[in-house]
Amino acid sequence: MIVTIARHQILALRRQRTFVMLLATLLVMTAFAGVLGWSSHRTILGVYDESVKLLASQGEPAPENPFRLKPTLSLLSNMVVYIPFIGALLAILLGHVSLADDETNGVGRLVFSRQITRSSYVIGKIIGAAVVLLAILGAGFVVSYLSLWIVNGVVPTMTDSGRLAVFYLLSWLYLMVFALIGMATVLLTRRRSLALLSAMGAWLVITFVLPQITSGLRPTQSLNPITDPVSTSQAFFRVTSHARSFSIVEQYKQMSGRVLETTTATSNLTTGVGVLAAFAVVLAIATIVLVQRHDYSTGTSSD
Amino acid sequence: MTADGSPTTTPPAIEMHDLGHAYDADLVLRNVDLRIEAGEVFGFLGHNGAGKTTAVNILTTLITPTSGTARVHGFDVVSQRREVTSMIGYLPSEVRMYPHMTARENLEFFAKLSGVADARSAVNRTFEYLDCGDLADRRVGSFSTGMRQRIGIAQAIVHEPRVLFLDEPTAGLDPVGVRQLRATILRLNDELGMTVFMNTHLLSEVAKVCTTIGVLDHGELIYKDTIEATTARFPDETSLEDIYVRMESVPT
Repeated sequence: MIVTIARHQILALRRQRTFVMLLATLLVMTAFAGVLGWSSHRTILGVYDESVKLLASQGEPAPENPFRLKPTLSLLSNMVVYIPFIGALLAILLGHVSLADDETNGVGRLVFSRQITRSSYVIGKIIGAAVVLLAILGAGFVVSYLSLWIVNGVVPTMTDSGRLAVFYLLSWLYLMVFALIGMATVLLTRRRSLALLSAMGAWLVITFVLPQITSGLRPTQSLNPITDPVSTSQAFFRVTSHARSFSIVEQYKQMSGRVLETTTATSNLTTGVGVLAAFAVVLAIATIVLVQRHDYSTGTSSD
Repeated sequence: MTADGSPTTTPPAIEMHDLGHAYDADLVLRNVDLRIEAGEVFGFLGHNGAGKTTAVNILTTLITPTSGTARVHGFDVVSQRREVTSMIGYLPSEVRMYPHMTARENLEFFAKLSGVADARSAVNRTFEYLDCGDLADRRVGSFSTGMRQRIGIAQAIVHEPRVLFLDEPTAGLDPVGVRQLRATILRLNDELGMTVFMNTHLLSEVAKVCTTIGVLDHGELIYKDTIEATTARFPDETSLEDIYVRMESVPT
């Protein structure tokens, strides 16, 4: 039964126009991240070459180009921003439509008048969403690899390929949290629009509010993978900075930055993965509990 | 007779005992006692909001009654949900299913959820039986109300249930569609021996299809008997509609 639900879910999502559009956007942005990396790297090298010419005209020796030593994967640094933004929205939509469509279409009544249990149903839905997310990020991996190779002219080594794969696996775990938020909000509310708004609210809090509180209100924290906290002089932020481990977007950015070698962070990968996994497990359990008491005897509003 | 000499008793297809349901403080079903034998086509009549759909929701295990018990072929709808769902088919009042999928994909999905081992064969048999193979590979989203209703019936019987629940099945259908649906219900009852439990407020349908009727008024079962007995009991009334109006004391 679980496999039936999961396979059906994958087929349903493939035919969802909104979902396919958002997926295409994510993949385009992934390719764009490679182009941006190439563009900024080329600009830096251009500036270096001009400086070398200037120094040569003055008879001065030029130092070795430090930017050529920059790690290959750092060209994809923008992905660390795209995943929490576009990727998380895609994941919320994925989780939302996974459950909300069954209510709007009145399918829930047909499903639960059959032998399947509610737990099997929602576990099948979670597995379906997980497989779809994995496939999306697998496609992201391929696009990133090709953009490094074709756009930047760098063939990633085995180590780089492994790091890139780890980055996308981390992203998968991170996005699963948002897919589960998308599902849980459908089960907590009676209206589709309210469910989606609630999930977006959670995304805003996780992505923008929590990092600012736990990092002493650094405005750049929500955008860039900056790891070293500024000194927190205020008592409030000294306290909230201890909750930094629970800010999953910060955990994700630090780990991703470390994997892609865009930062010199020394964050503990095990702790970060543990926090993300704990969030995902708690949300999965909450979703399974919520579906038990959800009323499927009527179709909800189709707003 | 059983080994110990006691008489064997076949449980009724549907049995409700002291059944009640309340949504918060709103009591929508009150102490309903009802017994429907296997092979009957039962018409459950009542005005809008009388509690008919709530009764079907309980019998199809979608909601849990707040008091009393309900059984399908002897199995309790709460504690023996798996057994109950294995022998029921359900057509809700509005059938939409998965619009981006074909009728075949929808039916195979529901057949698998009902534990049908060879879903593909079961779906083909159902299309053939209902003579709607022309709809099989078209997406449900493009269907008219009548087409959706035919596929709705197909999903309800694809696993060959013993009891079929229909909630306002003729709602939104044109006269041809109503006639087709009526013929299908009678065929399912005659040829496959399905017990049919039909919620409706269309008395013309009840008169043409049902063997037994029950009338629900503000959550209470106020009448239950065969069509023949009903017309005999109210000889002065010219139609079932007149009888119904008299039973419910609806101002005319």
